[in-house]
Amino acid sequence: MSSSMLAADVGTREFAQGYRGRPGVFDELVDDSGTIRPHWQSLLRELGAIDPATLALRMEQLNVRVRETGIAYDLFSDPDSATQPWRIDLVPLIITADEWRALERAMIQRARLFERILADLYGPRNMLASGAIPHQLVFSDPSYLRPCHDLRPTRGYLQFFACDIARGHDGRWRIIDTHTETPAGVGYALANRMIHTGIAGNIFGTCGALRLVSFFQQLQASLTRRANRADPAIALLTPGQRSNDFFSHAYLARYLGLMLVEGGDLRVAAGGVSLKTLHGLMPLDLVVRCIAGAVADPLELDSTGFAGPVGLLQAVREQPDFMANALGAALAENRGLSAYLPQLAETLLGEDLLIPDGPRWWLGDAANRQHVLANLEGMVIRPAHEGTARPGRAIPGIDPVRLQRDEHDALLREIEIRGASLIAEEKVGFGTTPSLTPTGLTAKPYALRLFVTSTSKGDFAVMPGGLAMTVDPDMSVSLNAPDGESRDVWVIGDAAPPPFTTLWRPASAAARIERSPQDLPSRAADNLYWLGRYTERADWLMRKLRVCLGRLLENTAPRQELRASRIALQLPLAKDDGKVPPEWQPTDARLIEQLAHNLMTSMDWAYGLPRTLDNIHRVAGLTRDRFSPEAWHMLNDFYVSGRWRADALPSATADSLRLLDDGLRLLAAFNGLTHENVTRDFGWSFLDMGRRVQRAYGLAELLLGIFGKADSGENESGSLLFALELTDSFIAYRSRYRMASALPLLLDLLLVDETNPRSISFQLAKLADHIDALPQSGGSGARIEEQRLALSLLTDVRLADVSALAEVDAEGRRIGLQKLLGEQLEGLPRLSDVIGRRYFNLVEKDARWVRLRSREQS
Amino acid sequence: MMFEVSHRTTYTYAKPVLQSQHLVHMRPRSGPRQAVHRHSLLVEPAPTANVLREDYFGNSSTLMTIEDEHSELIVHARSTVEVRENDVPIRGLSSPWEQVASKARRADGELDIDVLQFMTASRHTRIVPEVIDYATPSFPQGRPILEAALDLTQRIYKEFIFDSTATDISTPVSHVLQERRGVCQDFAHLAISCLRSVGAPARYVSGYLLTFPPPGMEKLQGSDASHAWISVWSPEAGWVDFDPTNGIIPTNEHIVVAYGRDYDDVSPISGVLLGGSRQAMDVAVDVAVQKP
Repeated sequence: MSSSMLAADVGTREFAQGYRGRPGVFDELVDDSGTIRPHWQSLLRELGAIDPATLALRMEQLNVRVRETGIAYDLFSDPDSATQPWRIDLVPLIITADEWRALERAMIQRARLFERILADLYGPRNMLASGAIPHQLVFSDPSYLRPCHDLRPTRGYLQFFACDIARGHDGRWRIIDTHTETPAGVGYALANRMIHTGIAGNIFGTCGALRLVSFFQQLQASLTRRANRADPAIALLTPGQRSNDFFSHAYLARYLGLMLVEGGDLRVAAGGVSLKTLHGLMPLDLVVRCIAGAVADPLELDSTGFAGPVGLLQAVREQPDFMANALGAALAENRGLSAYLPQLAETLLGEDLLIPDGPRWWLGDAANRQHVLANLEGMVIRPAHEGTARPGRAIPGIDPVRLQRDEHDALLREIEIRGASLIAEEKVGFGTTPSLTPTGLTAKPYALRLFVTSTSKGDFAVMPGGLAMTVDPDMSVSLNAPDGESRDVWVIGDAAPPPFTTLWRPASAAARIERSPQDLPSRAADNLYWLGRYTERADWLMRKLRVCLGRLLENTAPRQELRASRIALQLPLAKDDGKVPPEWQPTDARLIEQLAHNLMTSMDWAYGLPRTLDNIHRVAGLTRDRFSPEAWHMLNDFYVSGRWRADALPSATADSLRLLDDGLRLLAAFNGLTHENVTRDFGWSFLDMGRRVQRAYGLAELLLGIFGKADSGENESGSLLFALELTDSFIAYRSRYRMASALPLLLDLLLVDETNPRSISFQLAKLADHIDALPQSGGSGARIEEQRLALSLLTDVRLADVSALAEVDAEGRRIGLQKLLGEQLEGLPRLSDVIGRRYFNLVEKDARWVRLRSREQS
Repeated sequence: MMFEVSHRTTYTYAKPVLQSQHLVHMRPRSGPRQAVHRHSLLVEPAPTANVLREDYFGNSSTLMTIEDEHSELIVHARSTVEVRENDVPIRGLSSPWEQVASKARRADGELDIDVLQFMTASRHTRIVPEVIDYATPSFPQGRPILEAALDLTQRIYKEFIFDSTATDISTPVSHVLQERRGVCQDFAHLAISCLRSVGAPARYVSGYLLTFPPPGMEKLQGSDASHAWISVWSPEAGWVDFDPTNGIIPTNEHIVVAYGRDYDDVSPISGVLLGGSRQAMDVAVDVAVQKP
């Protein structure tokens, strides 16, 4: 033995020094006598060779990387609440090749068994008729989707399958949960491996652990086989960023080169499912389903869910392998099945069940209820069916021992009435595995998730690794990890690891789609358009508020100028059917104060500031991948700073003004950053179009409001000054026209002058340019509807005779101005609708799917 | 008896619908007691796609897509149905309800799964303590199941007031019980909840009922309505219908359109619209006896 080996062994012993398992509890690292198990030696040797300072640095780096990757990031969480915790232990869980092969066999057996169970329950239902599975267990489960009966996917129900497993104190494995609905957070396992090897890659290599890539190659080959076409168009359907598993969806999609889509991006037409892009409908060959089956089709399934496109189920009937996993597969997750699995394995596979579930009783059965009620201590009561796939988030369940008297009685009543949707589970405890803490290695109870994919040959393959998490055995019987402590799972092979391979396919269709600026998904275009509209709406409203409040504060404003202020602030209310409450009209000044205060603080008005800022935050979050981090931070500041929360807004006018100045600065900074940094593809066009439409509309509305009817000369000049100040055009006006206060000159500047970036014609000219460049627009001989509409609006303004527009009729009306602006106010929303109908998913605005239901009358 | 049924539903929308998809259950079922001689479904505007299929419960359903912009939708089903006289089963001959319940609890290959599926609570027939309390008087020890069902049907008929303004399609049975008011579908849901609460299989039936005008009056066009009642299972007689809204066992004036666990499974028209708002609905049903 060389002296260097000797030194390393010393390091191993020191590193694990003081490590103890818990008495009578199986531990992964040491056996009952406290001896380190051989398959951990190489890892401990490697870790022991690292000096403590470097080790601490690496532990910290792991968690910095977790934050950067965004595993724990929850976009729509309350900014005041902590993000979901997620940490990665530098020490992985190590499993020997022998142990692994046993687990692998058991997992594959399970996948086959559940495949057979699903095929029966959605087909002949023999298992129900014979009583092998209690019928009430299935019929009471809301995830038994009757309209999906007889779908008969030819390539099976389960593309993805996962199990949560744990060791008992005696070291024997048991299954604690089954995942058959979605890929079940496989992206977390992948991300953990990537991050861990990024920090501790050399150790991973030295220890000779198996790589995950072969698993994902099998998965990819299987998806292609299922799609039944070379170079298929495959999308991953996610519920969106609000889903607590979204990170995993995005990560998996990017890794496999799948298009990440939401229900609103898809459309069922001519029997098939297509993705809406700016260029029109693009047919899909396969969808990897990350949405719950129960909400996949509002027409035939749960009508409150719009997670999938309307009519999806009928499209799947015609193309039964279109979805992976098949619709309805969640049924196999029912925990009540546990006790019946050994018999089912024998009946359906002719095999003994290799690893059984933990001890569970389905409470729909009277004998089970009796047993459980007699042995309630040590049991946990849980729903038979639970919907979350995010690792570590299983509901802990109800521990009857911890209940108050009345809660206890309520639980018994619940078991009696709704036993069919409940199970009882015995607390049998968890084995432990080492965790690296600042004070050294500590034994922690854990459970792990193993992932399975179907293969292109119609069988199953198990990921040689997984995701292990620390659980609290006092609280939980399943994979519930409140601290978010996760660790990679290494299978130490007994053969040399296979050569390095990559999933990167240089000629893949997915890569082409990513790069082509023309294939902007409709949803992205839609969100950008609305981001443009909302930011401009906020800008315009803040400008109005600043001018109006500024005039009040100066306290020198002549009365006539308050008229324009009042009208300007009432406009956003009028759109909302909101009448100014009658008790509000003591004086103009008081009214303006009240209007301003409400516009700034009230959530009641759709066009007020709080709801506009909420909309900005929401839409910006959905499009943030299009902006630089700085641009995103500008908008995000409205949300995270807390200063714009309705209850935190200042009541003093001077403070409000300062806040409005800050807000306008943030918006200006955002506009500047996007202007300088966003590539000029169609995404930019839609953002700018939204802004232009909104600005033209706001200006037309204001001009009509304050000049549509003539007023006394004093009032008119007051309004004129107001309009100039609001549009930042005072200097331009004065330099050109001195102080000649005349409406035609103002109209020229704000309506017709195409060089003034605040004029209506400037907005319309930009709009027309954008529209002409869109993918479905035609040349001058073949203009389509939105091109003609934009051109017509622009031409009307260009041809306007400002002197004629300023003329007043006998009743004091400016008929010409009213007509011109009225047409703009009618034409702009129409233009917006036409563009939306052609290019968007119509997720915003009032065109949305609504339900229709008749009712029996007699 | 031969019936001509016309069921015409008109939806009008304040804003146009750009596209819509619908699921329709309007074709009457064919079975031992009922034969459908003719059926047509006329939809205006005409659907671009139309799929006729048998659903999980054996009902005919139509899935249709309308891609023309429209402000008005007309769905008009016309059926010619022959209904044979029903022998009202002799009440004493059915098994005691406890026996039915214990037989249904665990399948042993003997009972049909299509019967057993109707003993589990569903969204509109949740079993809550108030339901159990209401059911109890109808189920004394040893009473034959059909006799118990008739008693329950007649209690609901006597103790509840028909009131089409008291409830809507989402009103839970507990509320109906509290108010003692509702329409046919509320009474059907209540009766089914009660039966399932004691473990008896019971299903929801949607269809039509022949009505008669008050004495001396002409029957008005479109004055009939779609109707709902229930069906209870006994080992001796199979499925037997009961109408809690009218307190009777249907003989030959009830026309069956569809069976389900509750209203959700058999709703005559449901749909999803793109666009449209503030819809108004007008339903005209005529049930007429065909002159021989």
